[in-house]
Amino acid sequence: MKLGIDEYASLNSPLHRWDARYKLVGLIILVFAFSFLRDLRMLLAMVLVTAAIYIVSGLPARFILRWLRFPSFIILVIVLTLPFLSGETVIASLGPLALHQEGLLAALLIAVRFVCIVTAGITLLGTTPLLNSIKAMRALGLPLIMVDMALLAFRYLHELGQDLGRMLTSMRLRGFRQHSFSPAGLKTFAWLSGSLLVRSYERSEWVYKAMILRGYGQSSRPQGEFKTHPADVFILVAVALTAAALVAGDILLGHNIAAILQ
Amino acid sequence: MHIPDGILPIGVTAAGYAATAAVTWYSLHKVKQKEDPRQDIPKASLMTAAFFVVSLIHIPIPPTSVHLVLNGLMGALLGYYAFPAILIGLFFQAVMFGHGGLTTLGVNAIIMGLPAIIAAYIFRLRKIGNKESPRKDGVFGFLAGFVALGLSVAMFVAILLTSLPADLNAAVEQTAIFALAIAHLPLMLIEGVITAFLVIFLRRVRPAMLSSL
Amino acid sequence: MDEILEARILPPETAGPVLAASGVCFSYPDNASVLQDITFEVMPGQRVGLIGPNGAGKTTLFLAIGGMLKPSAGGVSLLGRPVAFGKFNPQVALVFQNPDDQLFCPSVREDVAFGLQNMGLPREEVEARVKAALLTVGASRLADRPVHHLSEGEKRIVSIASVLAMHPELVMYDEPSANLDIRSRRRLIRLLQSSAETILVASHDLELILEVCERVILIDEGRIVADGDPQEIMGNEQLMEAHGQEKPHSLIPHQIPHH
Repeated sequence: MKLGIDEYASLNSPLHRWDARYKLVGLIILVFAFSFLRDLRMLLAMVLVTAAIYIVSGLPARFILRWLRFPSFIILVIVLTLPFLSGETVIASLGPLALHQEGLLAALLIAVRFVCIVTAGITLLGTTPLLNSIKAMRALGLPLIMVDMALLAFRYLHELGQDLGRMLTSMRLRGFRQHSFSPAGLKTFAWLSGSLLVRSYERSEWVYKAMILRGYGQSSRPQGEFKTHPADVFILVAVALTAAALVAGDILLGHNIAAILQ
Repeated sequence: MHIPDGILPIGVTAAGYAATAAVTWYSLHKVKQKEDPRQDIPKASLMTAAFFVVSLIHIPIPPTSVHLVLNGLMGALLGYYAFPAILIGLFFQAVMFGHGGLTTLGVNAIIMGLPAIIAAYIFRLRKIGNKESPRKDGVFGFLAGFVALGLSVAMFVAILLTSLPADLNAAVEQTAIFALAIAHLPLMLIEGVITAFLVIFLRRVRPAMLSSL
Repeated sequence: MDEILEARILPPETAGPVLAASGVCFSYPDNASVLQDITFEVMPGQRVGLIGPNGAGKTTLFLAIGGMLKPSAGGVSLLGRPVAFGKFNPQVALVFQNPDDQLFCPSVREDVAFGLQNMGLPREEVEARVKAALLTVGASRLADRPVHHLSEGEKRIVSIASVLAMHPELVMYDEPSANLDIRSRRRLIRLLQSSAETILVASHDLELILEVCERVILIDEGRIVADGDPQEIMGNEQLMEAHGQEKPHSLIPHQIPHH
């Protein structure tokens, strides 16, 4: 849990220096534009844009690769099965299995979109410390309750993770077989989870007292941590124009609006 | 149960965000009606953290291992706070582990979060009839867990299958739905059972945690 | 690498006691009484130690003084005014037993700034006070660290900084030396000795109390059993043992001089 998206947030690149609020807005625009695309030629453009963002960010390749490894079983399953299950035009057959063109193209679309969205997403988010991203969301209008909850949850995630580790160690030292199944083991896992929940609940009562003792809820806290520089706006405009170009290109090349609403 | 990026078209992801925004707004609205919403914020926040960590525990179920979702229990313990809690949990899962997706955060929140709220109401049903007993709590706990996960799976499958950018012929689609449903039935049972165990545990140790709506 | 602990400016002379508890009683709904008829006064600048077994009511008393609990009888007044239940009063501060319960902000700097922002102070003053508070406790180098990366001792001193920044008149420390290593404990003792605020220190660390406090209150089962000179009270073996305590080693006359 120590390795997070902001592991390399302390590097220095134009993306690192981009104001977090604008970065977030830019990310949203770009990533939604990506998910709009369907034409294969635009996929190429999408890949180029993603590559450009990645290069500017200066983030190491192994970082991006690690993130691409994570997700999805689901993506893998879909990408591997769609070509065989979907579509009508057969372009090749291996024994009983027939490779369909439509399925293949759909699988390609999904795979490329996935890689580009994830890469763009973590590149942009990975250049800001996570807490700053959350504060940027606050500055952009996320309700204060959500922000408070997110910050508090973030703070105590790590404590609890360590608590969990220690509890598992103590259980193993007393003979619990963590990796083998048994009905009694299910009950033990339930109790372990229950203990974590109870601890958190009880801690929350103390945290509440600590917050009240220092004035929580008194006044809305000052926000003004972000300062806009012209470069921030400029980069956002550039990103927005790129996104618009991608979308326009896709529409012109044959993807019509009605098709989005499947 | 998390849909990753890249599969869903923009219509679905945008609708997901819109729906999540609406449900979040409504949940916060319901939550502010309580007498001291300030007090519940640390509670809900720490419970969010706790559920996040608990969902990381590998539970060995042959042939593999699973992670608990516990959205039913979240509904039972947090009431309307469960929705923002799940949303925040999903966000952290996406940015800390790459689990789930960024464009699909809205859709995933609906898939996991709406059933949680429904589970909260199911769990509240245990108060019908005046008799209170651990068994009753356990049964409704099981139902909350089982139904919540079942609804999540149903929504997950439905959204996925209807959104693929390809046409699956009807037979394939039906087989897929059937197969996925069967595959998840044991998980639903396990969630139900563990939720029941947890409810009974909490009732013994800290009954105040079980009141929400 | 010891940072000099700056001597703080003494608070202005106040006419009366900083803290006056009179007949304070408290019981939780499911418990017998936790506090019974607690009456005492603390004058400005005093350093008072609170000793007694677990469950004696020390933490409960602190919470009542801080306005977190409402006494079932009697009252507490701070600087002449009665303590309002549930209201924010930056003049009194409580350092919790477990720093994790208190440090709820993601980074050190934010946690120390939290109370100040709620006091409505302007940005520059908040920054200045945060810097000063961290300097006082010797934690300046920790300013931008995430809280969960701190060691026990570091968490402890940061939690102290986060209340000192509010410039309280009265600071209550609940078991401040628990879980600290020797060096951190020594630094804590020096910090407490040089504090200009009025302080109440609840602790099982009797040697710390001896070094820091000029007055000691012994509490057992919710009642004040003794109130006065630390050497006298803690040196009274019978009294101490009757209330779950021991005579601190340094007060025991040595038959065989070993130091």
